[in-house]
Amino acid sequence: MKAAVMPGFSELIIRINPTKQVTRGGLLTIIMPWLYAPWPDAQKTGIAEMEVEGKTLRELLAKLAELYKQANVELDIINPKTNDLDADYDVLVNGKNYVALPNGLGTKLKNGDEVRLKILWRWDG
Amino acid sequence: MLEQKDLVRYNRQLIIPDFGEEGQKKLKDSHVVIVGMGGLGCASATYLTAAGVGHITIVDFDTVELSDLNRQILYWEDEIGERKVVVAQRKLSKLNSSIQITPVFTKLTEDNIFSVINGAQVILDGTDNVTTRLIVNSACVKLKIPYVYAGVSRLRGMITTIIPGQTPCLACFRPEGPSGLGVLGVTPAIIANLQALEAIKLLIGHSPALAGKLLLFNGDNLKFQVREIRRNEGCPVCSPVVLKQDYF
Repeated sequence: MKAAVMPGFSELIIRINPTKQVTRGGLLTIIMPWLYAPWPDAQKTGIAEMEVEGKTLRELLAKLAELYKQANVELDIINPKTNDLDADYDVLVNGKNYVALPNGLGTKLKNGDEVRLKILWRWDG
Repeated sequence: MLEQKDLVRYNRQLIIPDFGEEGQKKLKDSHVVIVGMGGLGCASATYLTAAGVGHITIVDFDTVELSDLNRQILYWEDEIGERKVVVAQRKLSKLNSSIQITPVFTKLTEDNIFSVINGAQVILDGTDNVTTRLIVNSACVKLKIPYVYAGVSRLRGMITTIIPGQTPCLACFRPEGPSGLGVLGVTPAIIANLQALEAIKLLIGHSPALAGKLLLFNGDNLKFQVREIRRNEGCPVCSPVVLKQDYF
């Protein structure tokens, strides 16, 4: 599948096999430039494109982590110890948290789905 | 002016070439506010006290509980039930009696934040929730006081130094994330000492290393990552448009 990747404020917004041209809309500011590390040229448009072998949420996230690693940015989205989402992140598919989906990370993604990978901040003291 | 006992007490840092007596004098004339005296606040307050920051205001509205003792190292078993700021003031004053420690027993709100932090050179984050942090962040931006954000959970931590008008503020990121995930005591200790280091650099006029940078600490694999961050021009707190509206 193909995916359009748009870094947001503290998240990546990913559209799966978009049928229409993806634009940043009102989201103009780039505040975490390192999120573009795998696609440095995409900073001009604010939107990157990637191809994923496979159809599941897990495969998408694994591919993202691989691309970032190749760009020397550690984004260990899937925790190797738990084989689940790492505690630094949260994932929503069409606004629904992945834990609420029947197949969790094994959820098959459809054309037009929107995946949000949120980078979580720390609030305890 | 440094006294003879100061020259002895701070000898190990006075002999650091970039620090010296000038740096120590600046620390002595400085005022830092630590908002929240939990795991982060206990550690940063201890090292800023030891370093000789002349005036430290410590703010918290809570009392010592048994479940605090794994990480809040200023509080001991026989002090359970006492006000944290009172205990901390007592301990810190014993560590360094030549500086002023001001305890403030209050819950920070939008109404009292300005009076609590006004006049300080640096604010250190020691809170345990996003709401208070955003209140502190907003007030620091308006008063143009540097704010060293830090947050922890489990074995992970984050820190950035916010210089109003220059770096992103906390609200730039529309940050999300859960709290109450648990904390291993050493995690806030590590992050709070980085806060203290950033504060000392700011106070003596050195460039803070984490201005415009977000440090991510992962205690699981002991990795530190430092990432560039930029201002959100549409930030509801620190964008030039918002600040202009507030003041003119």
